[in-house]
Amino acid sequence: MSDVLNMIQSILFSAFRMGVPLAFAALGGIYSSRAGIVAMGLEGMMLTGAFSATYVTYLTNNPWFGLLGGMIAGMLLAMFEGILIVRYKLNQVIGGVGINLLALGGTNLLMQMVWDNRGKSPLVPTIGKVNIPGLGSVSVLLILLIVLAIASWFLIYKTAWGLRLRVIGENPQAARSLGIKTNQIQYTAMAVCGMLSGLAGSYMCIDQLDFFSRNVTAGRGYIAMSIDILGRYHPLGILAGGVLFGAADASQVALQRFNISGQLLKMIPYLVTLLVIVFAVKHVKAPASLGKNMNEE
Amino acid sequence: MSIVNLKDIVKTYPNVTALDHVSMKIEKGEIHALLGENGAGKSTLMKVLYGMTRPDSGEIEINGTLVEIQNPMQAINIGIGMVHQHFMLAEAMNVVENIIVGSEPKKNGRVDYYQAKQEIEKMIQKFGFSVSPDALVEDLTVGEKQQVEILKTLYRSAEILILDEPTAVLSPQEVERFFEVLKRMKSDGKSCIIITHKLYEVFQIADRITVMRDGVVTGQVEPENMIKTSVNQLANYMVGKTTAITNHAQERKVYGDICFEVEELSCKNENKVILDDISLCIRKGEILGIAGVEGNGQSELVKALTGLLKPNSMILKLDGKTVKGTTKDFIKQGIGHIPEDRLKYAVAENMSIAENLVLGYQDSEEYCKKGIMKLKKIKSMSAGRIEKYRIKAPDFKTLINQLSGGNQQKVVVARVFEETSKVLICSQLTRGVDISTSEFFYSLLRAFGESGGATLLVSSDLEEIFTLSDTIAVMYKGKIAGLRKKEDFTREEVGILMTGGRLDTGKEDHCG
Repeated sequence: MSDVLNMIQSILFSAFRMGVPLAFAALGGIYSSRAGIVAMGLEGMMLTGAFSATYVTYLTNNPWFGLLGGMIAGMLLAMFEGILIVRYKLNQVIGGVGINLLALGGTNLLMQMVWDNRGKSPLVPTIGKVNIPGLGSVSVLLILLIVLAIASWFLIYKTAWGLRLRVIGENPQAARSLGIKTNQIQYTAMAVCGMLSGLAGSYMCIDQLDFFSRNVTAGRGYIAMSIDILGRYHPLGILAGGVLFGAADASQVALQRFNISGQLLKMIPYLVTLLVIVFAVKHVKAPASLGKNMNEE
Repeated sequence: MSIVNLKDIVKTYPNVTALDHVSMKIEKGEIHALLGENGAGKSTLMKVLYGMTRPDSGEIEINGTLVEIQNPMQAINIGIGMVHQHFMLAEAMNVVENIIVGSEPKKNGRVDYYQAKQEIEKMIQKFGFSVSPDALVEDLTVGEKQQVEILKTLYRSAEILILDEPTAVLSPQEVERFFEVLKRMKSDGKSCIIITHKLYEVFQIADRITVMRDGVVTGQVEPENMIKTSVNQLANYMVGKTTAITNHAQERKVYGDICFEVEELSCKNENKVILDDISLCIRKGEILGIAGVEGNGQSELVKALTGLLKPNSMILKLDGKTVKGTTKDFIKQGIGHIPEDRLKYAVAENMSIAENLVLGYQDSEEYCKKGIMKLKKIKSMSAGRIEKYRIKAPDFKTLINQLSGGNQQKVVVARVFEETSKVLICSQLTRGVDISTSEFFYSLLRAFGESGGATLLVSSDLEEIFTLSDTIAVMYKGKIAGLRKKEDFTREEVGILMTGGRLDTGKEDHCG
């Protein structure tokens, strides 16, 4: 009995830990989606962020610089995708998948070049924890996540910039006919999306783990996309979604003590993703112009 | 001094001169109609005024000052507002958000929704609108959506309003209300420009008329001459030759037997009733017009009757025989379809005229032998039809996407009229089509009736319904709200039924 309780407790705790990167990336995905751009490239931005954060930490021995590096790298990649889609009207799904493949190939190559190792990086220092009464020691980034989610809610629902962003996601022509500079807002949204995804990737390598390994994100960017759907593209909704998917991720670790094939367990998070997409999507209305590129007048 | 003075505007696109030295003046506080066919240049001219298109040359004066309008934002700042034909609204958001976006009142860094709402409520009162500020746009009627568009311009303190085909999508009652709003805006000193091709309503509302054709101004009617001007005179300015608008009222012929019969047609979509137990019948030679505000089930009705949609229940009989199966079976049994959205359902854009002319009939013996297309036959057939249906194209190899909307529709019409023998289901036949082509289509439709064909005609244009139909059915919320012989219906009565009202007398059963 106490065994089960222990397991549930450990799943809950790790649900929070595992949920943080998913929620960060999903939060980024909201900005992109609300600007009408499918957040297909989250995976690539996370992976690039993860690598860059590890590398900068490795160079400077300071994980905070690493965090900054991860965010900047994610942002640059997101801006690149933004330019392809907004300026050159590239199909959004193809653009996103391209970004992801580029990030995967790019980080593999760079790993080889920098560390001469195809599997993983050397160990690096990590970001510290803070002690919260009742919760024990938690990552500083968990606090940051909650602060950023609330700030995002304010930004998207209470400010003029947020109103404009939402209108662009629904009907960019309408926004443009009122003189709103849609491109500018879309680029900004992509930049924020990249920073948050970069943060998500950084968390994985310089907080949760203390090294970078080949394809460390392993599809979490795609999971973040489904968290966006589940959380109705709302910054507070995705916090809950993050915990749910974090729990799915954590349960596979917790269940490993039973005699179940590891391959089967690893499927759990992706299975949950699939189920969410099949059953939840029906009831969630995505921004109306999501995935559509705007035609010039 | 005129409030707007457009001088010598020239705008050319590759191969086309859209505006050829066009000049136009608008006075303060007037309703100015800009009349012309599709492609006459009226929309282009207004886009120039609104800064959406830069002219090659020409000048714009507002209140006597020379201005350069490079983008809509500048136009808005000068006091020009535009209500687009296709509404530019964020459906999932509410009325206030749609109106204020881009010019939000702010307080401490956040949008002051409270103040915005109050201001909008005041405007709603002042100009006699009926829309509620908190409603989601997706829940509004077409007329209310238009009100939101107008409010958007008024909120930005527009003094000059450009309205692009404002009455195209409205029911007669909504048109009345819209005209009322226009008059209030006029008495408030605002100047309104209405882009339209509806001749009759121009007389009803406009103080001054400018007519355009092929990128030039062909006629102008000053206020003092309004009474002296006839509809035919305006039509001549528009079309360029003396085409008297024919009077379509003809003596009624006796119809034949019942040809096409549908009963118990019901259709649900996610528990929402789209079509509710519809029964209709059409006799040989009869044109049954379906009137109604768009979105009341007409699209689904058409799809069910052409096999594109599987309704929850339907009994469909053609000449007494039950019709079942897929779209292909429907076509084979002689049900022709001219869909409302031709690019989606009627033509393949990147294929040639010839290929599109056999589309849907490609495996009939006429064009195909043991799976191999009879290309020679198709070529000669296509050449013949291009001529007969006056399709403007170099040859039958021309791709559909190189044709204008009107000519694309001619391809669809040519195919369907040539291949269909018994029943024609026809939706928005003349959408985006100019007057002379519309007249041509009308004559084809009548000829089809005289040869014994039965026609179901769905149109959001009430004039079209009254011009062509023998019998009129009105659809409202998936039901037939009324059905009578055309002679027994007035436009007002149809309008009442279209918007959910009731008439004292019930519907008659003309198949009984």
